[in-house]
Amino acid sequence: MNHALDTRHAALLLAPLTLLMLLFFLMPALSIVWTSVHGGQLDLAAYRELLTSALFRRVLATTFEISIEATALTLVIGYAIAMHLARLTPSARAVMMIFVMLPFWTSILVKSFAFTIVLGDAGLVNRAISWLFGTETPIPMLFNRVGVVLGMLNFLLPFMVLPVLGNLLAQDRTLQRAAETMGAGPVRIFLRITLPLSLPGVLSGVLMCLSLSVGSYITPALLGGRTDMMMANLVDFYTRQTLDWPAASAIAMVLLLITALIVVLLTRVRGGNVEVL
Amino acid sequence: MHNSLPDRMTRFWRATGGLIAWSGYLFLLMPTLILVPVSLGGSQQLSFPPEQLSLALYEQFFTDPSWWGAALQSAKIATLSTMLTMLIAVPAAYALVRGDFPGRRFLNLFTLSPILVPVVVLGLGFYLNFNLFGIGGSDLSLVIAHTILIAPFVVVSVSAGLRQIDPALETVATIMGAGRATIFFRVVLPQIRDSLVVGALLAFLISFDEVVASYFVSGPSTMTLPVKMYSALRWEISPVIAAVSAMLTILSLVFSVALIHLQKKSRGH
Repeated sequence: MNHALDTRHAALLLAPLTLLMLLFFLMPALSIVWTSVHGGQLDLAAYRELLTSALFRRVLATTFEISIEATALTLVIGYAIAMHLARLTPSARAVMMIFVMLPFWTSILVKSFAFTIVLGDAGLVNRAISWLFGTETPIPMLFNRVGVVLGMLNFLLPFMVLPVLGNLLAQDRTLQRAAETMGAGPVRIFLRITLPLSLPGVLSGVLMCLSLSVGSYITPALLGGRTDMMMANLVDFYTRQTLDWPAASAIAMVLLLITALIVVLLTRVRGGNVEVL
Repeated sequence: MHNSLPDRMTRFWRATGGLIAWSGYLFLLMPTLILVPVSLGGSQQLSFPPEQLSLALYEQFFTDPSWWGAALQSAKIATLSTMLTMLIAVPAAYALVRGDFPGRRFLNLFTLSPILVPVVVLGLGFYLNFNLFGIGGSDLSLVIAHTILIAPFVVVSVSAGLRQIDPALETVATIMGAGRATIFFRVVLPQIRDSLVVGALLAFLISFDEVVASYFVSGPSTMTLPVKMYSALRWEISPVIAAVSAMLTILSLVFSVALIHLQKKSRGH
């Protein structure tokens, strides 16, 4: 017996979404391409200007720096959280998962606002530091790189914890027990068994976090300083401040290309599955 | 004696890992934990812990039409976008899971691709495009933009639900003489009710919180709550934001508990 829908019915069911996406997803994407080459004249001036623009090169470098710093920090803390979760009983894990997923459900604006209160000169963190260490001068953590990286960490953690946790839970526990019986210490077991076996999950989480962070817009705008401008902010700057649409479109194309490369790697790692969570 | 050294080391490394993990949990919970107390601190100075208790900021929010108007606008856009998305994405997901036609894999990737594109790129595309269609700055442009952004999430959650139910039931219904439409509404949809609710909740929340694309698409008269918050955070830091954030945090908390509950239920059977 055949459960499959025939092609005609499938086409009818798919038509509304596909049509809407052709008009309002593909068309907008194509108008970016079109605008970036000055209205289809195949004029590459906007791209040539990017190559010589000191601002663009600085922003490109900043984008990579912040993305790599945030992803690295997310990996360390996300891995510790995933290991902790993997050792819990399933019901305790379900409760703790709410903590991990909460940032995913919380508006990025709300999170950024919370950071502006906690990380300021008179904020909770600085008061705690001065109480603990008796220091007088507050550490600047807001409107600079520290603020952006911490804001991104909060946003990225769920995307790292989930793939790593999935991998840790799938690992055969008897391997670790065997190593323990043979006299291997915890560090050795971690480095030789747990970590290597979890590498696919780690890679998947790292690529996901990189692809999300290169496109960040809100976090650098609200928690960063002038020098922490990322590519998405530059797109907005050229679109709204200088009304230079070809430049904005050319930068958007570069950003899209970088993201596409990361996503292609990600689909390789995940064997064709591109679902985010 | 023989085991004591490795045991102590195990305990030391577990404790270190546990410490990092717990700092991580605390860090993840921080916005949720501090925002409600901060919002109750009155209008003078936003700080945590608050110095006094008052509802002044909530009063400001509910007496300023530019704030609660923006919240209503967001609720309206999120409701319309969720409805439109469910209407077109659920049939599409059904076709993608049950269909067997050339280009299925490609279409599946295409319907999911808005998740993978940086939102700012989509925002710019909408901005350049919607003026062409003469709908720039209107409610319709916001609904369309949000639908493009949330449809992939609905396709994913509904597809997951469909993959878990037995297609043989649909075959049986066909043999019994039910038409395609009857099968879809009477056999398929009731079985994936939880996935539908998950998809709709997710879609509503993402639309309600969406800021980047909305910032490019909305005009002065169609400003949503996140767009208003974003400009307030950038240019004035008005203390009312504390009350808005506290309410949004509680909304997120309720949504995430409901969603985790539903996802567990739908995986249960």
